[in-house]
Amino acid sequence: MGKYIVKRIGYMAAVFVILSVLMFLIYQLVPANRAYTDARTEVQGLKNSLSAEELETKFDELYLKYQRRYGTDTDNKMVRYLRWVGVYPLYDGSYNGLLQGNFGYSYEARKEVVEVIPAPLTNTIKINIWATILALGITIPLGIICAVKKGSKMDQGVQIVTILGYSLPTFLIAIVFIWVFCSLLGIFPPSGMKTPGSNYVGWQKFWDELYYLALPLIVMTFCSLGGMTRYVRASMIEALSLDCIKTARAKGLREKVVIYSHAWRNALIPIVTLVVGWFLGIFSGSLVIEQMFALNGMGNLMITSLMTSDFDVVMLLQLFYVALSLLGNLIIDIVYGLVDPRVRVNK
Amino acid sequence: MNNNKKNVLQTLWGWLRRMVMGASKEYADEVESKQENSINDVEEIISPTKQYVRNFLEHKIAVFALCVVIAMFITVFVGPLFMKNYSDSYTEVTQKSIAPTMSMMSVPKELDGNIKMIDSYGSFSVGLSNDGEVYVWGATAIGTTGIDMKDIPQEVKDANIVMVAAGIDHIIAIGDDGKIYGWGNNRFGQYDVPLNDANSPNIILMPEELRNNGIDVANIKRLECGYQCTAILMNDRTLHIWGNKHAYANIDKFVGNTNLNDIAFTLNYVVGVPMQGNAIYTGTRGLYNQARPALTASTTELNDYLDGRFIQRIDATSNNICLTLSDNSICFVGDFGSSVVEVPVLKEGEYFVDIASGTYHYTGITNEGNVYSWGGNHFDQAEAPSKASGAKKIYAAAFQNYAVDENDSVQAKWGLKGYIFGTDVYGADIFQRIINGGQRTMTIGAVAVIISSIIGIIVGCVAGYFGGFVDIILMRVTEIFAAIPFLPFALTLSAVMSQMTLSEDMRIFIIMVILGLLSWTGLARLVRGQVLVARENEYVLAAQAMGVKESKIAFKHILPNVISVIIVTLTLDFAGCMLTESSLSYLGFGVAYPRPTWGNMLNGANNATIIKNYWWQWLFTSIFLAATTICINIVGDTLRDVMDPKSNIEK
Repeated sequence: MGKYIVKRIGYMAAVFVILSVLMFLIYQLVPANRAYTDARTEVQGLKNSLSAEELETKFDELYLKYQRRYGTDTDNKMVRYLRWVGVYPLYDGSYNGLLQGNFGYSYEARKEVVEVIPAPLTNTIKINIWATILALGITIPLGIICAVKKGSKMDQGVQIVTILGYSLPTFLIAIVFIWVFCSLLGIFPPSGMKTPGSNYVGWQKFWDELYYLALPLIVMTFCSLGGMTRYVRASMIEALSLDCIKTARAKGLREKVVIYSHAWRNALIPIVTLVVGWFLGIFSGSLVIEQMFALNGMGNLMITSLMTSDFDVVMLLQLFYVALSLLGNLIIDIVYGLVDPRVRVNK
Repeated sequence: MNNNKKNVLQTLWGWLRRMVMGASKEYADEVESKQENSINDVEEIISPTKQYVRNFLEHKIAVFALCVVIAMFITVFVGPLFMKNYSDSYTEVTQKSIAPTMSMMSVPKELDGNIKMIDSYGSFSVGLSNDGEVYVWGATAIGTTGIDMKDIPQEVKDANIVMVAAGIDHIIAIGDDGKIYGWGNNRFGQYDVPLNDANSPNIILMPEELRNNGIDVANIKRLECGYQCTAILMNDRTLHIWGNKHAYANIDKFVGNTNLNDIAFTLNYVVGVPMQGNAIYTGTRGLYNQARPALTASTTELNDYLDGRFIQRIDATSNNICLTLSDNSICFVGDFGSSVVEVPVLKEGEYFVDIASGTYHYTGITNEGNVYSWGGNHFDQAEAPSKASGAKKIYAAAFQNYAVDENDSVQAKWGLKGYIFGTDVYGADIFQRIINGGQRTMTIGAVAVIISSIIGIIVGCVAGYFGGFVDIILMRVTEIFAAIPFLPFALTLSAVMSQMTLSEDMRIFIIMVILGLLSWTGLARLVRGQVLVARENEYVLAAQAMGVKESKIAFKHILPNVISVIIVTLTLDFAGCMLTESSLSYLGFGVAYPRPTWGNMLNGANNATIIKNYWWQWLFTSIFLAATTICINIVGDTLRDVMDPKSNIEK
């Protein structure tokens, strides 16, 4: 088992490197030149004290200086990439890349990218933990009930609702929910994360936050209802048709025990992997929700950065999303390996 | 082959005969022959495809969903052919955000037969009856202001009105005692003094003497309303003008002007005819000084063109003016679009006695009673019907025309009835955009799915069939692609693309490729799994033994056996790609305005105010998008159930 895990981790690391190269190359397509911009700005500052020709030479000088500082003084894309990661020396022989903790500079926030990220990250994690609790709390019991009472009125009704859940884009569901709950009923606030101007502490803060997050969470739960409920239902139906269930029933076990102890355990294996993948997937899924409800999260940050061409931030967020998705795959692999020995042998 | 063709013809002939002669005899024969055969029949043998179709038809909801999908397809691909006037970048400032209505041309019953005058500038029309009663119809709700033009003030209802005029969001009425009434929006001083003085620097207030003492009704020469402005010209050449300064840049030049014979409003300028009648006065030199005798004729200097004649009357549309000269001929100044209906050539001795102007078109009546329309024809407003001729009087609203007969009732009306789904913030018809946008959305979805399925099928088949080293390499590549977080990556690629200089068509194509490239992994894995199972079958062994080439076995022997899975995935992926495209466009990273897709048409609906007040701007588009994706998914799900032998046994 240990060998298998090590192998998978090594493989994921390789994929991560490949993807980061791919992303770096994509960003190289952007016609933005940080050294040029910085040199221009600095020369603009000196405009009054120097003549035009002096300015030109000064600019060339500064441009070279900044190019060397940012490691863009070569056209070799591979060298640039390695410098960005921090394993290839810059012109002056020093290393200054991701590995040295240089994640870039956000022009919009006028801060290091590392300082921009924490607040949205905590918000996103908070939202996603709430969403997970809600979604699992609803979808799993619902899926089980539907599987047990397959073909009943309730099952059919749930099937219709779940088709809505996965055929409609998130933003559409959000629009409809805002319309119903904010415009028509006026129950929830349409956007924001706390009452404007409020300065609550303790429980009051908690409830206020929950009040503002309620609608986004409802929308996210509704969206995840579709896929998850169907998945739970399907694997539960499969588990219920196993021979061991017949045996359990033949033994005269109570139906509750049969369902929750015997069938559920068999159905759990695919569900666990789904839940892990899903939890990591909602990080990018909440992108639209955060944008719609003006929540200060990773997705919102990503969209604003894209719109303002703040590509250092986007790059880091992108790395974060890729790392997250690979981590998800890794966990799924390991869980599979744990529960199903054949996987280990096969690979 | 020939035989087969004959059979088809025979069948068709059989149907035709049955339609005409009835089928009783034939049916009886059929039943008889069936009974004879049934003794010999062992069991009906049908192909799997037939079985699938039969099973599918048993699912009523799925059949209905399939019909909806097909109907959608036909609507969005055939519909645009009937919209000859449609253009992606069409905007109309006077028709912004109009709620769904088809009542723009419906003159109230009480008014019909008693019409004194009709006027309109934007989305609603105002009519005046001979009894001095005012009626309002059309899209009367003004934006988010909560103002409804239909709410005529009680004092106006009580008064005996002799003149009305409508602006973009206000109405001015003058009573027989000279009192001036106004209602609608007055935030920019359209009438009276606005309660909120936030805009006061940009306002020319209604003159105080008019507010207090009223006006000498008998001496009014012309009452005209423009975009948030009003002008009253008296017989003694006194001009009263007030309203929003921002709407008309040259309005200052007209305040206190006592030198004008006539006045009118184009979209951006107030225009007048000076006493001498030899030019168009705008306060800016050289703005309207090139005259042309017809809309598409070449221009001459207005002064030369007049050649001693003088201007009697002007009527203005948004960007051009029709001048009636002293010899009863007409000419035009200003710009004309490319697709206009040309002004008619009149007979010798025939001339226009009255001309009315809409937003882009003119309607005129001649001394012989013939009615003609010309100018912009986007809503067929410049196509005067023949039954309009012989009318007593003609009125033109923004995009509507009314010909009124001797009894003061409407003899003919033509032009824009309304918008079935309303208009968007730019004034374009949402229904037309939904149909045209649907075409683009579906095309993008379809092309993306085709790209993803080609890659997926090739990779899956090759990996599954050859196995070993090839399999390992291909599956690793698949895993790398599967590890890419979809939405963030697509957003980034699209944003990077917008930094590069690309044509819009190229951008749309690249979006399709991005969607295709990021979504083939699921299909590849599925096909690989199916092929792994299928290649263990005996017929593959047989084919190999016969020396059939490997690639031929993979694609000709094995692929048909996994085709059912592929079809199901294609259907579901199609809906998926449409959803992704709309999410991208909704966020502003997909297809950009003015090209419509169902995603970017919903772009504006991102806050509670718009969602509530302009419900038609997202509701109809959402219904189309939702109905299509839901129905495609239902069809896909049912196909899966039908083609899966396991689920058949369960039943």
